Amino acid sequence: MKNRLKVLRAERDWTQANLADQLEVSRQTINAIEKGKFDPSLPLAFKAARLFKMPIEDIFQDEAMA
Amino acid sequence: MGKIIDAIACKGLPARDIKNANIANLWIFAWAASLGIISYISDYEWYSSIITITITLIIHIGIGAGMMLAYRRFLKELDELERKIQLDALAFSVGSTILVFSSYSILENAGIVPELSPSILIAVLALTYSAGLIFGRIRYR
Repeated sequence: MKNRLKVLRAERDWTQANLADQLEVSRQTINAIEKGKFDPSLPLAFKAARLFKMPIEDIFQDEAMA
Repeated sequence: MGKIIDAIACKGLPARDIKNANIANLWIFAWAASLGIISYISDYEWYSSIITITITLIIHIGIGAGMMLAYRRFLKELDELERKIQLDALAFSVGSTILVFSSYSILENAGIVPELSPSILIAVLALTYSAGLIFGRIRYR
């Protein structure tokens, strides 16, 4: 699964640690998601969508559909 | 080397997870202490009474149940990447221990090695679990 987390975070001038605190996960989790090593759970993806005030599909994209 | 130290120290986990891990560790320590104390007092003559054995067994099982519940809570509320790492490490640990046990049994039946002590299996379980955790944390760092 591809995602735009790194771009969206950079637009807001947030560090990985800032985003991790807001999503209540570890910085390692944010790093692993950004690098595509780990796919977030649905609740975490929805939480990210609420935080960025965007539809979930604008943040996370299925690679098979891309 | 820094990566390995960070992996062992579990650096960067949310405060909630550290608190739950500390609670689980206290229960694990209490369980290990109860096992050690019972093993120590079992050498005394007065420990042979069925009532004393039953009481210590109930205490040991009670602490063990508390340990399992604390570990379950720790896993349930854990950061989701760390949870995946923990589950991968548990799968590696259980799988490796079964393989060691079955291989050793074959050698034992053939009379090549002496009888297997259960403490060896606990040590294999602990070592492979720790190795799995460190490998997982380095992999996703």
